[in-house]
Amino acid sequence: MALLAFVFAAGIVFLAFALHRVQVVQYSDFSRDQVRQSVRRVQVPGPRGRIFDRNGVVLAENRASYCIAYYVEELRKRGRWQNTIDAVDADIDRLAAVLGIPRVLSKEAVANHVMQSLPMPLLAWRDVDQETLARWAETEESFPGVDVFVQPERSYPQGSLAAHVLGYVGRGRPQPLPGQKSHFFLPEMIGKEGLERQYNPTLTGVSGGQLIRVDARGYKHAVWDGEPAVSGRDVHLTLDVNVQRALEKALRGWRGAGAVIDPRNGDVLALASSPTFDPNDFVPVMPAGLWKKLNADEGLPLYNRAVMGRYAPGSTFKPVTAIAALLHAGFNPDETYLCEGAFSLGTMRLRCWNTYGHGAVALRKAIEQSCNSFFCHLGYTIGYEAIYGEAQKVGLGQRTGIDLPAETAGLLPTAEWKERNLKDKWRPGDTCHISIGQGLLVTTPLQMAVLASVFANGGIRYRPHLARREGAPEIVFDMGWPPDAVGLVRNGLHDVAALGTGKRVQVRGLQVAAKTGTAEVDVGGVRRKNTWVTAFAPFDRPTVAMAIMVENGVSGGLTVAPMAHDVLVSVFGEAPEETPSETAALPAGGEERGD
Amino acid sequence: MLKRLIERFRCLNPLLFACMAGLIVVGVAFVYSACSVREDPELRMLYMRHAEVGLAGLAGYLLLAWIDYRAVLRWSWLIYLVCLLLLVLVPFIGESTMGARRWLFGIQPSEPAKLAIIMILAWLFGRREAQRGAPGFFLTLALVGVPGVLILLQPDLGTAMVLVPTVFAMLFAANVAPRLLWTCVAVGVAAGVAIMSVIYIAEKADLPQERRDALIEATHLKPHQVKRLQVFLFPDKDLHGSGYNRRQSEIAVGSGGAWGKGYLKGEQYMLGYLPPSVSSNDFIFAVLAEESGFAGSLTVLLLFLGLLWSGLWVAFRCQNDTGRLFCVGVLSLTFSHMFINIAMTIGMMPITGLPLPFISYGRTFMLTMMAALGLVQSVSIHGRESETRF
Repeated sequence: MALLAFVFAAGIVFLAFALHRVQVVQYSDFSRDQVRQSVRRVQVPGPRGRIFDRNGVVLAENRASYCIAYYVEELRKRGRWQNTIDAVDADIDRLAAVLGIPRVLSKEAVANHVMQSLPMPLLAWRDVDQETLARWAETEESFPGVDVFVQPERSYPQGSLAAHVLGYVGRGRPQPLPGQKSHFFLPEMIGKEGLERQYNPTLTGVSGGQLIRVDARGYKHAVWDGEPAVSGRDVHLTLDVNVQRALEKALRGWRGAGAVIDPRNGDVLALASSPTFDPNDFVPVMPAGLWKKLNADEGLPLYNRAVMGRYAPGSTFKPVTAIAALLHAGFNPDETYLCEGAFSLGTMRLRCWNTYGHGAVALRKAIEQSCNSFFCHLGYTIGYEAIYGEAQKVGLGQRTGIDLPAETAGLLPTAEWKERNLKDKWRPGDTCHISIGQGLLVTTPLQMAVLASVFANGGIRYRPHLARREGAPEIVFDMGWPPDAVGLVRNGLHDVAALGTGKRVQVRGLQVAAKTGTAEVDVGGVRRKNTWVTAFAPFDRPTVAMAIMVENGVSGGLTVAPMAHDVLVSVFGEAPEETPSETAALPAGGEERGD
Repeated sequence: MLKRLIERFRCLNPLLFACMAGLIVVGVAFVYSACSVREDPELRMLYMRHAEVGLAGLAGYLLLAWIDYRAVLRWSWLIYLVCLLLLVLVPFIGESTMGARRWLFGIQPSEPAKLAIIMILAWLFGRREAQRGAPGFFLTLALVGVPGVLILLQPDLGTAMVLVPTVFAMLFAANVAPRLLWTCVAVGVAAGVAIMSVIYIAEKADLPQERRDALIEATHLKPHQVKRLQVFLFPDKDLHGSGYNRRQSEIAVGSGGAWGKGYLKGEQYMLGYLPPSVSSNDFIFAVLAEESGFAGSLTVLLLFLGLLWSGLWVAFRCQNDTGRLFCVGVLSLTFSHMFINIAMTIGMMPITGLPLPFISYGRTFMLTMMAALGLVQSVSIHGRESETRF
C-alpha cells in the first residue's frame, strides 16, 4: 500500500516536472512554433506619392477604387477544397447575374486564390462604378462573404495631359521588407514608364505589415495591424500645365513633338508628343484590347517622340554651322556669297529652297533667309571638324540627361561612324548636307530645344530636368562663345522671326527669336517633310526656349510657327491688336512658303 | 431510515468526493471550451451531455456508496459475464468509427469490462480461502486475458494497456505468486523494449524496404500502432501525418506558459490545429493546459493526487481484503489513465487514445469511473463497519 502511494506520488511529481519543462522552460519555443504555424504576414504597400506641376496642380494622385471582394472563409465548405472552389465560383456567377455585369474572374483564378492566397480577399470585380455599387448595396444581404474592398488606384486628373512625361503604373509584388518574411502581399503600384518609372523609388512608400491569424485549414481567423505603412514622397515638377496644355493643343491632330525649356536653368516647362494616350485607361489593369490597339496604331501613341524620335533637324541646325564658322579663324561674317538657287559641288547639286536664288548674302541675312547655298558653301569652307565640334558641345549625338527612363542619343556622325556602318568614306557632300541639318544627322526635339536654349542664354548648356531640384542648376557644358559671335547668330535668329521665315512665331508685345526648318526625308520610298521651329523669347533676357517638330507638315514656317506662337502666348500672353489696318498690311508673300 | 442514511454518509470520504467533483467541474468547463468551436449545434452542446452524465453518475455514485460494496461484489461474476457477452457481441453488431469497432448500443463495453475485471479479481482474492499460488495467477490470466484479447481485437490498445498495470498492482497487493509476477514484469518490459528496438532498427538501419517491412511485420502490431510508436521514437519524422496530433498537442501545452492564455482563448483547438475530433476527449488536457497554463495543469495534478491518496487512505482503513483489493484496482486504473493520457499529451508516451478520467468527454467511461469511485466510497463506509462488527 505504501509502495502504491509512493508510485502515485512519484508519477504525479514526474508529470509535474515534465509539464514544467514543456510549459515554463520551453514556453517561448512552443509559443514561437505556434505563431509560426498560425500567423501570416501581409505586406501592405504604402500610399504612392503624388506628382505636381510647378504651380501645385496635381498631375498624378491616388483615388479610392471600389472592388467587390469575396472573403472565402465565409463560403467555406467541408471536405475537399474543390467544394469550396465550386461554391465561390457559383456565387460569383449568381452575383454577376444580380449586378448585371459580366464576370471577369475565371474558375482557374478562383482555384488559384483558394489554394494560394486563402486568407486574402478575392477581388471579383475591380474598380466598379457607382451604379454597380448601388445595386450591390441593395442585394448585399443575400451574399454573405462578399464585401466592398477599397484599394488605392492611380489617377491622372488632367487626363492625357503630359501622358508621355508621367508614364503609367502597373501592379506587382512590393519590395520585400528587409529581415521579414511575408506570406502574402497586396499588390503595389509600380511605375512602368515615364516619371512614374524614373522616380519609382521616391514615389514608392515603405510597406507596412498586417498580421493574419489563420486556422489549420488556412482560413483567416483574425487580423491585426503590424507596423504602419509609410507614404511615398511627392514629386514636384518644373512642368507648367498651362504651357503643356498649349503645346499639346497646338500639336493635336499632328504627329509630332515639342519641348519647352527655361534657358536659365534647364527647367522643362512642357514636353509633349502627339498622338497621345490617357494613362487612366490603364487603371486598374490594362485591357488587353487597348494595349493591342495602342501598339498597332500607326501613329505610335505610346512612343514619346520628344525624347525618342529621331529626326533630321533641317535648317534649325544652321545656327550651329554659323557659330562654328564665326569661331573658325579667317572667317569674315560680312563676306557675301552669291546664291543662284543651288549649290554645286562636283557632280552634286543642292538646291536652295528659293529656286531664283537669294542673290549676294552675308551671314546674318543668310540666317534670316535660311539660304541653303550659303550654308553649304560655309560648311564646305570651314570643314566638318569645326561643325562637329560645336554640334557636339551643344549636345547633339548624346543623351541630354533628362530625368526620363528612355531617351535616344540621336546621331552626330563622324567619318569613322560612316565607314563602320555604311562602309563608305566621308565625302564633302556629307559635310554640306550636315551644314543645313540634313543627311546623316538626326536629333530629338528635346535636343533641339536644348540647342535653342544654349543660343538663348548665350552659350551655357544646362541639363534639362522635369523634377524640381534644389540649389544651382546643373551645367553640363559652358560653350565659351565670344559674346559678339553668339550675338551675331542671335541677331540672325531675331531677324528670322521679325522678317524671315519665322514671322508666324511673332507675338505682339514680345521680342522673339526663331528658326524654322523643313527636312526632307525618305520614309519607305515616300518623300516626307519633317517641319521644325526652334524659338526663344524674350529676345534680350530669354526665359523660354523651345523646339517643336511636326511630321509631314507643309513647312516649318507655315505649319509649326503658329504652334510656337501659341505656346509663347501661353507663357507671356499677347498684347491686344493695336490697329486692325496694321495686321492687314502684313505682306503675305510667297517667300513664307519655305525656308 | 433517514438517520441511518445520514450516519452512513458521515463516513463518506470527503476529500475523495471533493477531488472527484472538482475534476468533473473542470471537465465540464473545458469540454465546453473545446466544443464551443464546433459548427454542429449538437456537438456544441457536448459539455451539457458531460454535465448530465456527471449528474446521473452522481446518483449512481451515491447509491453505490450507500449499498454495501460486498453485496455488489458478490455479483461480480455476473457483471463480468455480461461484460464478456457484450464484448463478444461488439465485433458482430457493434458500430464502427475511425477503423475500430468499439461501440454497442451507444456504450463502449470495454469501459465497464475494466471495472468488471477489477471487481471479479477483488472478489476472488479477497476471500480467505483464495488460491494465491501459481494456479491463482493463471486463473487471473484467463479472467483478464479473454476480455483483454477481445478489447485488443477491436482494436483498442490503450484500454488493453491500462489493464496490465492495474491487474499487476492488484496481484501484488493480494500477494499472488510474487516470483511469477516479477518474472512477468521482466518479460513484459523485455518485450516492450524488444518491440521498440525492432521499430527503431527498422527505421534507422540502412535496410532494403522489404526487410524493413518484414521486421515490422514480426511485431504483430497493427499499422496504426506501429505508426504511433514510430512517432514516439521519432517525433519529428512526420509532422503533417501521423505525428501531427502529438506535435500540435505539445505546442498547445507548451504555448500555454505558466498562467495560460485565458479561458476560451486557446488558439490551438480554436483554429483547428488540434483536431476538434480529439480536443474534447483524448486531448482535453492540451486544451486545459493551453488555456490555464502550468498553474492549471498543476491544479489538475493536485486534484488527482488528492483523489488517489484519499482513495489509498480508504484502502488503508479498510479491514477487509476484498475492499482493499478493489480500492487498489480502481486507483491503479485511475492513475494509469491519468498518467498515460497526460504523458501522451506532452509527447512522452505513444499516442494510445486513452481518456483522462472525469475530464475527457466520454459517457461510458465517465459512468464507469463514477461507479468505481462510488464503490470505493462504499468501502469507506462499510469497510470500517466491518472493523467494528467483527
